[in-house]
Amino acid sequence: MRVQTTRFGDIEITDQDLFEFKEGLLGFGHLRQFIVLDDPNDEIFAWLQSCENPDVAFPILEPGLFYDTTAIRIPKSDIEALGLESVAKGKLFCIVTIPADPTLMTANMKAPVLINLETRRARQCVLQDNSLEIREAIFAKLQQRVVQNPAVNFKPEPEAVHAVKVQRDLPDAEL
Amino acid sequence: MLVLTRKLGESITIDDTITIRIEKIRGKQVRLGIEAPRETRIYREEVYEAIKQQNEQSTMANQDSTRAVAQLLKKD
Repeated sequence: MRVQTTRFGDIEITDQDLFEFKEGLLGFGHLRQFIVLDDPNDEIFAWLQSCENPDVAFPILEPGLFYDTTAIRIPKSDIEALGLESVAKGKLFCIVTIPADPTLMTANMKAPVLINLETRRARQCVLQDNSLEIREAIFAKLQQRVVQNPAVNFKPEPEAVHAVKVQRDLPDAEL
Repeated sequence: MLVLTRKLGESITIDDTITIRIEKIRGKQVRLGIEAPRETRIYREEVYEAIKQQNEQSTMANQDSTRAVAQLLKKD
């Protein structure tokens, strides 16, 4: 199956690569099928790409990279709706917003995406906890993480999430 | 928009599965009790709107912005 994307061109995928958001993401309720993309030109982010709208893709990060994940309590109803025993059995991502000045980039802690890797079902969960920010500044925290451990791997294990690798298209000089 | 008047303790039902009850009224605040199937997603509207907006802003990023961040982080 071929998926069109604005950012990475056409991508060949298999059904196994698909994630199903039964309820869509907030504001994107009509889009149900997504894939995770791995851009080899970027060592930090994965992309959650819509298979139904080439324009719609969200940069995502695992919250453990910049946040105390014990503070992120996913409602039982969300965990059960995905058929998961616990959050640890699935995979949790935060949607990232990157403004013109990337040092001001933020992650949405209030509405992370939870994925059941076995059933490939996924959901954007809205958490009740008001101390979780919709715009949590994360640049400095990520930077700290790199300083502490320059070899730190930000991306999810590609096999676990069935991340689809996109073509490397930057000329060598820019890398 | 349908507008209904209810007293404390009274409810409205929506379809066969959703019941909303007036639990408490104090000054300008009303406390609602909502019974709905598990899969029904219920949000405070301002929270819903803020997350929706944030999702929309997130899709503004392109591959150049993520690559730029990756380079910036690895450089310092």
